[in-house]
Formats: sequence, C-alpha cells, structure tokens
Amino acid sequence: MSRVNDVGGQTGFGPLEIEADEPPFHADWEARVYALNMALVRGGVYTLDEFRDAVERMAPAEYLAASYYERWLHAIETLVAERKVLGDA
Amino acid sequence: MREFAAGQRVLVRAVDPDGHTRAPRYVRGHTGRVVEAQGRWPLADERAAGAAEPRIETVYTVAFPARELWGAGTHEVTVDLWESYLEPAEEERV
Repeated sequence: MSRVNDVGGQTGFGPLEIEADEPPFHADWEARVYALNMALVRGGVYTLDEFRDAVERMAPAEYLAASYYERWLHAIETLVAERKVLGDA
Repeated sequence: MREFAAGQRVLVRAVDPDGHTRAPRYVRGHTGRVVEAQGRWPLADERAAGAAEPRIETVYTVAFPARELWGAGTHEVTVDLWESYLEPAEEERV
C-alpha cells in the first residue's frame, strides 16, 4: 500500500520554495537531529532504509503537517523506542 | 538474475508492497527505457524490513515519457529502480 510520502503526481502542495544560498540547517536543533541520526545509523542501531520506513510510517496528517527535520526526529524517536535503546523516561 | 541493457524497454511491476519501497506509485505498471546501470546495491525493501542479508541487485536509471506517466508533457522523467522492480516490456519478450 502506498504511504503518505508517495505524492509524486499529486497536486495542491504549491510551488517548491527554492531558497537562494540555503543554509544546510535553519536551526541548531535540526543539526542535532541530523547528527543524532547519523550516529545511530553508523552505530548500527538501524539502517538508513529502516529510518526511511519509520518516516513513512508516520500518521498521514502528522506527516503532512511536519517539517523535514521534524519527520527525522519522529523516526528517530520511533526506532529508538522500538529497539529499546533508551530506558523509559 | 536478469540484466537489462541500455536502451531496453522495461515494465515496472505493478506491485503494491506493504512496507518501504523505492518504486514510486506513479511509475508502477508503466513502461520506460533503461538509460544506464548504476552499480549494485542492497534491495531497499528488504533492508528496510530488517533483513540481515538483503539481496544485492543492479539499480537502473529508467526514463519514462511524461505522456506515459501523466498523459501530457514532452519531457522525460528518470527514476532509479532496482532490478526486481522491473521486467522486460511486452515487445522485448521472445
């Protein structure tokens, strides 16, 4: 079954906003999310494909409302919980 | 495993997998032309499902006429697709 991420050919999302000289991150937390994901992939907690799968498993409305790195954070939280890497907070 | 040649016409299997795949819905069931092979890579579908030893397959860049995908347009859309997403197009079968 196709998931909410598979939007090729769908309309209504508006034009792509291309920023001139776009910085890699728009806030410090985004850089931390990026680094955290790379550390978890390189540390063998999960693969990049498992990470993409976790992004795609988001609830559709939540996925569409989230920014790029918010989706990353959601996937990290999902996978870390599923693999019981952290104790319960 | 079957290898496809540059220029060969291929049909994207009209599958509907439950999990992660890198065959977008808009190319499934459509016919394109192999542009080039992009080396061999672990099959994303299997690696996303946690397979310890996912199949390693050739990934092909496949070009689709916009008209074939959207019903209009004169440009081409190119998509990188794993070998198991593809089969020879009808006219290529002997």
